Amino acid sequence: MRFILRRLGFYLIAFWVSITLNFLLPRFMPGDPVSRMFARSAGQMQPEQIEALRKLLGVDSRPIWEQYADYLHNIVTGNMGVSITRFPTPVTEVIASQIGWTLLLGGTALVIAAVVGNLLGILAAWRRGGAIDSALPPLLVFIGSFPYFWLAMGALYLFGVILGWSPLRHAFTDGLEPAFSWEFIGDAGAHLVLPALTIVLVSIGGWMLGMRNTMIATNAEDYITMAEAKGLKPGRIMFRYAARNAMLPSVTSFGMGLGFVVGGALLTEVVFAYPGVGYQLLNAVQGLDYPLMQGLFLTITAAVLLANFLVDILYVRLDPRVRAS
Amino acid sequence: MTQSRFLRSARITAAGLAVGALLLTGCSATANKPADSSSSSANQNALLTIPREDMGTFTRNFNPFAPTVNPMVQQSIYESLLIFNPAQGNTTPWLATSWDVAKDGKSITFTLRDGVKWSDGKPFVADDVAYTFQLQKKIKGGFDYLKAVTPEGTNKVTFTFNTPWSPALYDVGQLTILPKHIWSALKDPEKDANAKPVGTGPYTEVDNFQAQSFVLKKNPNYWQPEKQKIAGIKMLAFAGNDGANLAAANGDVDWAPQFIPNIEKTFVAKDKAHRNYWFPATGAMINWQLNTAKAPFNDPTVRKALSMAVDRDQVTKIGMSGYASPADCTGLSGNYESWKNPAVKDNCSWTKLNVEEANKLLDEAGYAKGSDGKRTLKDGKPFEFKISVGASSSDWLSVANVISQNLQAVGVTAKVDSPDWAAVVAGYEQGTFDSGIVWSANDPSPYKYFNTSMGTATVKPVGTKTFDNYHRFGDAKADALLKEFVAAGDEAKQKDIAYKLQEEYNDVAPLVPLFSGPEWGAYNDTRFTGWPTQDNPYATLSVRAPTTVLVLTTLEPRK
Repeated sequence: MRFILRRLGFYLIAFWVSITLNFLLPRFMPGDPVSRMFARSAGQMQPEQIEALRKLLGVDSRPIWEQYADYLHNIVTGNMGVSITRFPTPVTEVIASQIGWTLLLGGTALVIAAVVGNLLGILAAWRRGGAIDSALPPLLVFIGSFPYFWLAMGALYLFGVILGWSPLRHAFTDGLEPAFSWEFIGDAGAHLVLPALTIVLVSIGGWMLGMRNTMIATNAEDYITMAEAKGLKPGRIMFRYAARNAMLPSVTSFGMGLGFVVGGALLTEVVFAYPGVGYQLLNAVQGLDYPLMQGLFLTITAAVLLANFLVDILYVRLDPRVRAS
Repeated sequence: MTQSRFLRSARITAAGLAVGALLLTGCSATANKPADSSSSSANQNALLTIPREDMGTFTRNFNPFAPTVNPMVQQSIYESLLIFNPAQGNTTPWLATSWDVAKDGKSITFTLRDGVKWSDGKPFVADDVAYTFQLQKKIKGGFDYLKAVTPEGTNKVTFTFNTPWSPALYDVGQLTILPKHIWSALKDPEKDANAKPVGTGPYTEVDNFQAQSFVLKKNPNYWQPEKQKIAGIKMLAFAGNDGANLAAANGDVDWAPQFIPNIEKTFVAKDKAHRNYWFPATGAMINWQLNTAKAPFNDPTVRKALSMAVDRDQVTKIGMSGYASPADCTGLSGNYESWKNPAVKDNCSWTKLNVEEANKLLDEAGYAKGSDGKRTLKDGKPFEFKISVGASSSDWLSVANVISQNLQAVGVTAKVDSPDWAAVVAGYEQGTFDSGIVWSANDPSPYKYFNTSMGTATVKPVGTKTFDNYHRFGDAKADALLKEFVAAGDEAKQKDIAYKLQEEYNDVAPLVPLFSGPEWGAYNDTRFTGWPTQDNPYATLSVRAPTTVLVLTTLEPRK
């Protein structure tokens, strides 16, 4: 319990530091939202409109510490303001409308990549020098080192355009209305396959290699030899003795990955025109949309910290040594 | 033994996964294709499908005051009093049937069209026009010259100005009009999402609004029902050009207004009978702006010499894939073709490539070449400066690179500086930049272009933010002409003054004009016919221009 409380204190400090950075960093960028908007409209806006627009969007010109106090107050009360690039939609609404798709895509890809990658890593290490061990790691590292954009475009072109197996865009066919029906779920699933698959392909190599390497170290431990000497079944030794201990770093990575899923998969969204917060974040940064940026960063920060906290708790369960210290 | 067993099971699993993926993807691929084009009855019900390339998702916000307005709000939901078509230089009366500019140039009276109704059935009246301007001035500002907008009865409205202001006709004429009975009832009109818009346009009824697509169906009370020949409009959201281009190449959209690289090969070649593109030079003039608040750019001879060193054919060919037309010394883009002074246009010198003359001019102006072939400034420093362009604009970056290479021939070193656009624009606004590739004003009247390129009133000192005239150039002679221009009531007189402005522009070279920005646009007439083309330029192929509604009311399903 004391462990958990101590961790909790640490996370509170980490949270404060990150929300402060969150506040400061966007304000170090040159320009303000209105002049960016003006520059982007490339002559379509009247200069006389700038003041009015500033007032309309509520661009802040108060001293920075006042803005900071206000910002902290807003975070505590959960009031994230109104998005500037999506004016007059509230930030919470902009995020809420996209986050579901982001979680679906990122979550699916992460779970598949982690589960399959770890299993492959366990098997590769268990049979060192075997077929999986010698063929897969180089292949997966090779695929993983492709620029993601290129790989995704290639996959979309091959499976979407030439073969026609996969839909070309969006999270579901336009014209359908989201509903809990087989038709809609099947359609959304079909739209999910290729985007998720490309993310899995580039990330699975890391999972497999990481697991394989820790697993090899664990296999050399005395208690494995002991277990074999006792005559336990190889499967039992592999999963209950070796893999369980080798899994700790993977659990940490999984926690981190889970947190970062919330940030969205920008390139996937661009290539597959998949909805999500990644493109929204890019737009927010380019348009200096402070409220939306803060909202998104806050969500990401909170998710990363929360996921890590959960991992810490899980660690206590997995690794008795943590409990003892 | 165990090893091979595992391999077999792995193989089976992999095969199973692949088959599963196939089943999942295969079943929906057909649903994604547009309706069969061979049957004309399907075309009758088909929706005109248009991609929007810079919005990954839509929010249900049809408020025309929003900084980022949803597509089609200003095009098919709300309409303006008149429509200016830059491709042909003509004006089409729209919600107004005629207008009358007062002799002293201090007022314009519009006569409104009879029988126009809002999509909720209420009649469109002069009060709506007056209220729209009141709201516009309150929320968005601008229109400083406007003194009052007075409705006279139900079908006449008079705009009065503080001073004679001839460019006003297009300015007020092209603002989209809102219904007073709806907007006056809102507490915060600027913050209302306007989820169910009421307008006078041809397609106003929002249907099946999703995060990445929405449909606009026919306005039941449209004033030209015979022109609502298509069933509706469907917008698709894309996070970037790539997805939108793929949809166009695949034939999933009817209209492709975004930039498509190598369009002949990637788009047209797939179906030559039905696909076409047209890039009229009606966009804004793209200029190489030299900061005239800095030496040596304050010297017109230097500006002209540098301009002569630029190979505009190479600039448009490499930078703009050959889709833009090089500028001439009137400084006016293709949008102002009818305003151009032939005497100036036919005798251009400083906008044509002439390295020899450029070298001569620079020598004479006192920027001598050293033994290494590089010139020095009068204060002894090397003739070096930066060309600032935003990193994300790859086309303009190559334009800047071509210029930088061209300048080597005259012994001038120009470095291309490409941070984020925000940093570039901050430099433009504060006047700290050396030079940059910049857009310019593009109104129906050339007034604003000349005012922001030569008008002293728009010049701000370095360090004070400005939003136009980044190059900070003012000219007394141009000021006098601009004053005359705004006071000139009839178009013939305005043209006469515009001719003189071009002569002045040609003399002082406030900017280095490069090329007329092309208006991107491509279409696929498998399902709909009647698109504007070079031979029938009744509008451009833009989906964000006032002329878009002309296309929407001309297209018809293929029979």
